[in-house]
Amino acid sequence: MKEVVFSSPFFGISISIFAFAIGTVINKKTKIALLNPLLISYVIIIAFMVIFDIPLEWYNNGGDFINLFLTPATAVLALTIYRQRDLIKKNFITITIATFVGSLTSIISVVALCKLFALSDTLTYSLIPKSITTPMAIAVSSSLGGIQSITVLTVIITGISGNILAPLLIKLFKVDDPLVQGVALGTSSHAIGTSKAVELGEIQGAVSSVSLTFTGIITVVLSLFVTYFI
Amino acid sequence: MKILIQIAIVFSLCLAGEAISTLIPFPVPASIIALILLLILLLTGVIKVDHIKEKSDFLLSNMAFFFVPAGVKVIEHFDTVKSVWLAIVVIGIVTTVIVFLATALTVKLILKVTGGKK
Repeated sequence: MKEVVFSSPFFGISISIFAFAIGTVINKKTKIALLNPLLISYVIIIAFMVIFDIPLEWYNNGGDFINLFLTPATAVLALTIYRQRDLIKKNFITITIATFVGSLTSIISVVALCKLFALSDTLTYSLIPKSITTPMAIAVSSSLGGIQSITVLTVIITGISGNILAPLLIKLFKVDDPLVQGVALGTSSHAIGTSKAVELGEIQGAVSSVSLTFTGIITVVLSLFVTYFI
Repeated sequence: MKILIQIAIVFSLCLAGEAISTLIPFPVPASIIALILLLILLLTGVIKVDHIKEKSDFLLSNMAFFFVPAGVKVIEHFDTVKSVWLAIVVIGIVTTVIVFLATALTVKLILKVTGGKK
C-alpha cells in the first residue's frame, strides 16, 4: 500500500508543487530573503521523506518528470534575450569581460579555499567547475579527475546560495543597475541564479542568461589550463 | 491546441539540442544548444514570439520550481562527502559571494570608464 502510493509519479510531482507553493507564500508573507521558496521546499520534502521513510527512488519517479522541464525552461531564456537584444548588443563586450573576470575569480577562489581547508586534489578538481551549469560542470570535473557526485552537489549549493543571497547582496552593496545584477547572478550561480534574475526583471533575466552561457564556455576553456597553476 | 503546438515547438528544439550535443566534441549541454538555436530562429524571424509566448512565459515564470527535484536529489551525494561536507558547503557559499561581487564590480567599473550603457 505504502509503496503503491509513494512510488507513484503523482506523489513526487504533487509534494514538489505543494512544497514550492508553501515556500512561495511564506517568502511573500515574511519578505525574508533567507526564507527562499526553494530552500523551504527542500526542508519540507526531505523532512517528509525522512519521517515517512520514503526512499529517494520513489520521489524521483515524479521528480524526474519535473527535471525534464529544466531543458525547455533554460531554452526559452532565448526569448528574454531576444526581447532585450539591443541592450545585450550594446553591452556585449562588457558582459564578455565581466564573465571572464568572474570565471577566473571563481576558479582561483575555489582553489585557494580548498587549500585553506586542506582538501585533497580530487576534491579541489570536483569543486572547480561549481559556478557553471550541471552538464558542463560534470564534463569539466571528469576531465580534470574530479568526482561527479561531489561536483553536482557543489553546483546545486552554488545555485541555491546565489538564488538566496543575491537579494541581500544587491541591497547591502547597493547594486541598483539591472545590467550589473544580471551579469553577477548569471556568472556566479548559473541557471538557478538566473531563475532569480528572471524574477527581478526582464533585463536581469536576459543578461543573466547570456552570462551563464559565456561563463560556462569560458570555464570549460580555462579548466584546460588549471593543472598548470595548482 | 495553440499551447500544444507551442509545447511541441519548444520540445522539438530541446530534442535537436540533445542530438547536436552528442555530436559536437565540446561539453555543451542540450539546454544551452536549444537556447542558441531558439535565439537564432527568433533573430532570423523563422519563429515569431507569438509561436512560443504562452509556453515560454509559463516556463519562465515558474523557472525556480523546476529545480526542486535537483536539490532534493542532492541528499544521495551527502554520503560521499561525510567527512568534508561542511567545508564543501562553506566553500560553495563563500566563493559564490566572492564571484557575485567581483563580477558586479567589474561591470560597474567598465560602465564608469566607458561612461554608461545607454
